[in-house]
Order: sequence, then C-alpha cells, then structure tokens
Amino acid sequence: MELLSNLGLGFSVASSFANLGFCLIGVLLGTLIGVLPGIGATATIAMLLPITFQLEPVSSLIMLAGIYYGAQYGGSTTAILINMPGESSSAVTAIDGYQMARKGRAGTALATAALGSFFAGTVATFLVAIFAPPLTAIALEFGAAEYFSLMVLGLVMSVALAHGTVLKALAMVILGLLLGIVGTDIYTGTPRFTLGITQFADGLNFVALAVGVFGIAEILRNLEDEHERQVMTRNINRLFPSGPELRQIIGPVLRGTGVGSVLGILPGGGAILASFASYTLEKKLSKHPEEFGHGAIAGVAGPESANNAGAQTSFIPLLTLGIPANPVMALMIGAMIIQGIVPGPGVVTEQPDLFWGIIASMWIGNLMLVVLNLPLIGLWVKLLTVPYYVLFPIIMAMCSIGVYSVNSNVYDLFAVAFFGFLGYVLSKLRFEPAPLLLGFVLGPLLEENLRRAMILSRGDPTTFVTRPISAGLLVLALAVLVLVFLPQIRKRREEVFTESDG
Amino acid sequence: MTLTLTRRILLGTAFVFGLAGAAAADYPDRAITLVIPFAAGGSTDVVGRIVAERMSADLGQQVVVQNVGGAGGSLGATQVAEADPDGYTILMGTVATHALNPLILKQKPYDPVADFAPVSLLVLVPNVLAVNPELPVQNVQELIDLAKTQPLAYASSGNGTPLHLSGELFKAMAGVDITHIPYKGSGPALTDVLGNQVPIIFDNLPSASGHITSGKLRALGVTTAERAPSFPDVPAIAETLPGYETYSWNALFAPAGTPPEAVARLNAAAVAAMADPAVVARMGEFSASIVASSPEELAQHVKAEMTKWEPVVTDANVTMD
Amino acid sequence: MATKPRDDTDMIAGLLLMAAAAFFGWQTAGLEIGTSLRMGPGYFPMVLSGLLFLLGVLVFLKSFGRTGEPMGPVAWRGMLFILPAPVFFGLTVRGLGFVPALFFTALIASQASARMRPLPALVLAVLVTIISTLIFSYGLGLPFRRVGPWLDF
Repeated sequence: MELLSNLGLGFSVASSFANLGFCLIGVLLGTLIGVLPGIGATATIAMLLPITFQLEPVSSLIMLAGIYYGAQYGGSTTAILINMPGESSSAVTAIDGYQMARKGRAGTALATAALGSFFAGTVATFLVAIFAPPLTAIALEFGAAEYFSLMVLGLVMSVALAHGTVLKALAMVILGLLLGIVGTDIYTGTPRFTLGITQFADGLNFVALAVGVFGIAEILRNLEDEHERQVMTRNINRLFPSGPELRQIIGPVLRGTGVGSVLGILPGGGAILASFASYTLEKKLSKHPEEFGHGAIAGVAGPESANNAGAQTSFIPLLTLGIPANPVMALMIGAMIIQGIVPGPGVVTEQPDLFWGIIASMWIGNLMLVVLNLPLIGLWVKLLTVPYYVLFPIIMAMCSIGVYSVNSNVYDLFAVAFFGFLGYVLSKLRFEPAPLLLGFVLGPLLEENLRRAMILSRGDPTTFVTRPISAGLLVLALAVLVLVFLPQIRKRREEVFTESDG
Repeated sequence: MTLTLTRRILLGTAFVFGLAGAAAADYPDRAITLVIPFAAGGSTDVVGRIVAERMSADLGQQVVVQNVGGAGGSLGATQVAEADPDGYTILMGTVATHALNPLILKQKPYDPVADFAPVSLLVLVPNVLAVNPELPVQNVQELIDLAKTQPLAYASSGNGTPLHLSGELFKAMAGVDITHIPYKGSGPALTDVLGNQVPIIFDNLPSASGHITSGKLRALGVTTAERAPSFPDVPAIAETLPGYETYSWNALFAPAGTPPEAVARLNAAAVAAMADPAVVARMGEFSASIVASSPEELAQHVKAEMTKWEPVVTDANVTMD
Repeated sequence: MATKPRDDTDMIAGLLLMAAAAFFGWQTAGLEIGTSLRMGPGYFPMVLSGLLFLLGVLVFLKSFGRTGEPMGPVAWRGMLFILPAPVFFGLTVRGLGFVPALFFTALIASQASARMRPLPALVLAVLVTIISTLIFSYGLGLPFRRVGPWLDF
C-alpha cells in the first residue's frame, strides 16, 4: 500500500519532537488570536508570517497550517460568544450559535462546534491523503461558467438562511451584492461606488463589514435598554452536549463534512459556500425548521463541520497545483517561496516528506485543537459572566486593532463605524445580516465570472447550459428555489383568512 | 491630565520610547519601516522580506516590513511619498508603482520622480509567455500564426499590471489580436490556464516556474532580452520579435527630501544585502537577476522605464481613474 | 383618525431600500453599460439597483394592511460613543501612535454604557492598552509606532 507508506512517512515527519512543538504553537497562537474579536485567520497569518521565516520549511508550513485551522476554531468561539464572526464561514455559526449562547447553552454550542470540527477535520484529512490528485482534476474542470452557476446556487441558498421574510432576505442579498461591487472594476479599471476615495479602490474590507453589521450592531442592541435587558443568561449548567443532543448532531456533522469536503476543493469561492450550503441543507431536512435562527444545534453542528472540512480540503489545490484557494493559501505560497520551495505540481514527488508531513500534521493539529478546546470551553463560558459594559470596550479596542492590522488602512476603520451604524439600522428594521454578508462575498465572484464566461463564449449565453457541470448546478439552484418558495406560497394561501404576518 | 497619566504608566511599566533622533550621524537609531505596496505573500513581498532581513543585520536596526496593499500598489507608494523624509520610512517600489501606475492613472496620487529619493534598483524579474500544452503551438512563431487564423485569449493577473502590458506589447509587435482576460492576481489566472479554460498566459516567471518544470505549462518565451539563467532552454521572445523586452523590477525608494547621508547608508546596506551569498542563492531560485544599483542609476532606470511604457500604455488604451 | 393598520417598520424598511437603490442607481449613471458580450462596468450594478428598488417597493406596499411589532428603544448613547471609537483610532494611530490611540479608543467606547463610572473606565482603558501593547506590539511585532510623531518632544 503506497498510501500507508506515504502516511507513515508523513506521520514520522509530523511527529518529530520539533514539529509537534511547532504544530502546538501554531494551533495555540491561532486559537488565541482567532478568539480576539475582529481578527480572522488571514490577518493572523499575515501578522505571524515573519516569525516562520527562521524555521525549516516543513516546520514553518506545519505551524502556518496550525495557525490557519486554529484561528478557524477560535473564530467560531467569538462568533458564538459575542456574535462577531472573523471569517465568512463563521458568520453562519453566529446565527444559531449566538442564540444558543443567549439561552445559556454557550458551552453546548462550543462543544458541538469543536466535536463537529474535529470529526470533519479527520475525514477531510484522509480525503486529502487519498484523493488529492483526482480531486484536483475536478477542480480544474471549473471554468468561469461553472463558477457563475455555483455562485447563483449559493445566492439562492442564502435566502434560506433568513428566518424572517424571503422578500427582505432577497433585498439583503442584493444590497450585499452592490456593496461587494465597491472598488475597481477588474475588466476596465473603472472605479465604482468608491465616492472618489482611493482607499476603497480594492473594495470594502470583509472584516470591517462583518464586524460592523454583526458585532457592533449587536453591541448597540445590547446598549438599548441597559436596565431591563439581561444580555446573557447567567445560568450555564452544562458544558457538553447531552445524549439526545449528540444524536441530534450526528446527521448534520456527517452531511456538513461531505458538503464542506467537496466545496473546499474549488479554488475561488468554493469554501466560502460550504457553511452556507450546510446550513441550508440542515434547515430543509430538519423537522423543526422554525428553530433555525433561534438556537438550533444542527445550525451550529452542520456549518462548523462543513467549514472545517472545507478548510482542510482547500489545501488540495495548494499542495497539488501550488494554487491558492483563498487569501490564506496565498500567504502560505508566499511562505513556501521564501523558504525556497517552488509551489506547484512537483512538490508531491520532489518533496514527499513536506507534502505528507503537512497532511499528517493537519490531523495531529485537529487532535490538539479538540484536546485544547474542550477544557477551554469552561473558561470561555466564564467570560460571559464578565459584565457587558466591561466586555464591549475591550471588544471595540480589539476590533480597531484587528481591522487596522489587515492593511494599515485607516478607511477600513471608518468603514467599521459606518457598517456598525448600518447594521444597527437594518436590525431595527428587522433585516438579517447573514444574507447581506453572503451577497457581499459572492457578488464580485458572480459578476467577474459572468463577464468572463460571456467573453470566453463570445457573447453566447447558452454557455451556461451547454456545459454539463454548469447546467447541473443551475438545475440544483432551481430546485432549491422551488423548495424555498413553495412553503411560502402554501403558507400565503393559509394566511389569506388570518391576520398574522407570518 | 489623562495624557500625563498615560505617560507615567508607560514609563512605570518600563516601555522603551522610540523617539525620533534628528541627527543623521547616528542614523539609524530606531527601526525602519519598509512599506511593501502589495499584500503579503506576493513576489514583491517575498523579495522585500528577504532583503529586509539582511539589511536589518547590516544597519543594526530592525527593518520592519509593513504591507500596505491596494490600488495596484498606489496606496503604499502614496503613503511613503507623503511620509516624513527622515529615512525611517522606505518603499519597495516596482515597475507598477514607478512606471505603469503613473502612466495609467488619470488622477495621479504621486509623482514617481519628484516625490521620491531613489535608493537602489535591487532585482529584475523576467515574465514568461506560456500556454496550456493542449494548445498546438511549440514556439512563439507558431502562436503568432495560430492567432492570425483563429480567435484566442490570454490570461493576466489584472488590468494595467506589467503582465497585461507585456501581453499588449506582444500583440502590438506581433500584429495579432488576442483577447485579454484579466484576473484578480496570478493564482486564479494560472488555475484557468492549467484547466485549459484560457489557453495562454503572461505571468511572472517565479510564479509559473513550478508548472513549467512539471510540464503542466509550455513556456514559449521569456520577456527579457536574454534568456533567463534559471531556464536556459526557454528562448527569449526577442529571438522571434526583435526588440521585445519587458520585465518586472523591485527597487528601494525613500521619500523626496531624505538626507543624502541616510540614502547613502540605505544604499550601502541594500548593496551589501544583495551581495550576501544566501540572498544571491534565494534570488537565483526565484529567477530574479540582481542589479543592486546606485541611487543615480535607479533614477535613470525609472525615467527609461516611463519612456518605454508610455507608447504601450497609450496604444493599448489602458487607463484607470 | 381611525387609520388602517400599517407596519411602520416595514414601511421605513421599504423606503430605505428604495433610497439605497436610488443612491446606487445614481452612482451607476456615469458608468458604461456595454453589451451582453462585453458587459461594461455599469451593467451588473444597474440591474442590481433596479432589482433592489423593486424589492423596496414590494416591502413598502406589503407594510399596509397589517400591524407589526414596534421598533423598541434606540441606543442613542451607544451610537454616540461606540461608533466614534474606531474612527478616533483610525485618525490618531499614526499621529499619536498605537499606545495613546488605543487608550483613548477604549476610553471613548467605555462611555457608551451608563453603568460605567469614570474610575473603572480609566482602569479598564489602561489595562486594555497595556495588554494589547504587549500582545500586538511586543508579542506579534506589528509594525506600528508605539508613540507617534505628534508626541515627539
């Protein structure tokens, strides 16, 4: 068995004393910084990149990978505890995770996230080990038309994220798409919606938007009436999921792992969709879809598994092709080049110890994270007993540093304030932020690929249905659309005779 | 009140103050910020970090890398142009910040000549014209012939980048029309060429080299006048189209008005760094050729590059607001 | 007046959407629309602005004929102090430097709560500043000047 000998080589590299140490440092640093609000994996790795230059190539990449998935774990923690996602993937976790926390189930939510992530990480690591080359071939089949259709599917799914009216969710998606357009048009170089501010030439900063519409809007909501409103329930009885709860999360974790593993492979937006797709799937399959948005445990288990599986499999294009699937992977490539490794298809054959060592370390890192995080849950939950008026100045300070550290761009901080205001106004008007965020992330990809596909097909719009993968995705999008709107229409008929507004 | 309180607390907890020392004699007496006008992980970032590390050792002060990405490098360059000319803020300039952007941008945020004190031209980095192996062409001439009979498209890392303009210069000199497909950076462009969604690419040689070596991409020619030492089998495009020459370059700039002593000190440190065997080896792996010029040579180089690119930019009608 | 029932929240929401659509539509006006083969930079935003306006109209119309939940109190004090905090940090981080900018940012933000008294606020801001400086400036080596040129003597 070549696979076994390869994995053996990998584990022998990854379990050397030094590499275990660097893996531990990586996941520890990643978790700690990921937990700080407003600072996601990209900012973390960019900050810590210089530290790794002094190390051996394998060690430095193991450490960077550790920081990456450590920050993902940590990011979920902030999403659940204070409704402040640092990455697009944890924005979904925030929806139900934060509601669970408000109901005193923060420990359960955190444990669910940790266990789901560990399971997904394990499965995805083995997928990477076994199927990396054939999966790469699939990823290369995706051209502009396929990506466009995938984004359409993603947007359709985002409507299902909303627990309010579909109409308002759609409006949020479109507002998000428009905000995503801010910046320089990549085809003509024309600035759009930048109001003449050069600092917005590369678009609005995701972290600024997410921190604003989720985190700051939430702080403001909590400050509305300090005398009457208790921000968090103080009685946190149990940390770990009970038996029935464990049974509840098995299905979502399995499905989330599958969805995340597949989507994570696609460079350019695949992994972004993983947690959204999983949430939609769970909401549709659930017997109690009305619980979603009010603290459904499946709404944490599924997306968290999906996002961690996607995080692992997004290493596939990096390791087999040397192509970055997301900004974090681009940083990893920079790290490889600085270490004198030429990223590309040659890495597997020329440096098998590096390739398999990183894969083995992913699993070790996930194991470390779950061991590290389960005991930490108690500590995180205690944070909730800190009075809110002490907590939020700290949050504001961390956000300011985090957002500024990404690009040293002062305008990103102005954007935080603006989107905090916008987010608060929107929440007062009962709009939901998650569809807005998804629209914002997918908007540029949607337009970019639509226009590229049209140029490549020489203006023939049938390109979207004559290419089989693209056609399949569009059919799927149509099916989701029907699934989303049918219950609405049916409910409308029932409502005709009542006065409730659903 | 609060201010003095902060200060007392700061002193009380033994923070070290990095106050500006004005005297040039003891320059540098605190950390120097090297602004890299692109995101971390890109090729300019890589060159910058390798050089910064070596320069720190020589100057006896930390050269701290700060990534200020955005607007094709203009944001970082503007920040340095407006910084205090005390020698403590310097820029890793490129062909984009000091030749192309000033030509392309309708509103010019800075003047590449008047706003900067050149320090040293560090390296030249070749670009490469490569195709997916399924495209039935073996060399530049066959590509030109094919482009005359059927519509083709090429990928680049973005509108107005050196790679886009390398492509436009190629089209103009070869007399062919190939549709330009811009991407957000080199990575996604490479992906689509590897998957044969787009058949042709102009890319930096360092980022494409792994794929060329493994045979996933067929390199037709490098853009430098001579062949690249790291790929002696790949011809120069100039062998088919005499006079064709483009490359990316990286150079250090300080803000205009920086004391000449500080510029000289920085130049000495940069030249020493580029002579370091470890740096030479790294740059070799990176297909970059070392120049390590004097400040005067860099000033000349910037003027020459602007003269060279101006007609290309005008003919290709590339503009940005 | 015996008015018909109306969901004020949704009515305002609809108007807000229409206003946003109008803003984006106005900003799109100068952009080239292009053709379906070569879509210009204005094509996509124009379609989206139109859709957003349409949705705004629908939300607005649907607000009539039913009553919604009231909007509840507004966090005026919160907005007054929370929103300027990051702006202040942005304006001063280069001039004052990281340490003083962060101190005042935390201090400003802490004023958003009526429960926060001056002394605890000061202590909190000092602690936040010290810990953040240790983590970010010393620990991670972020390239910010700890004390900026405005405080040079």
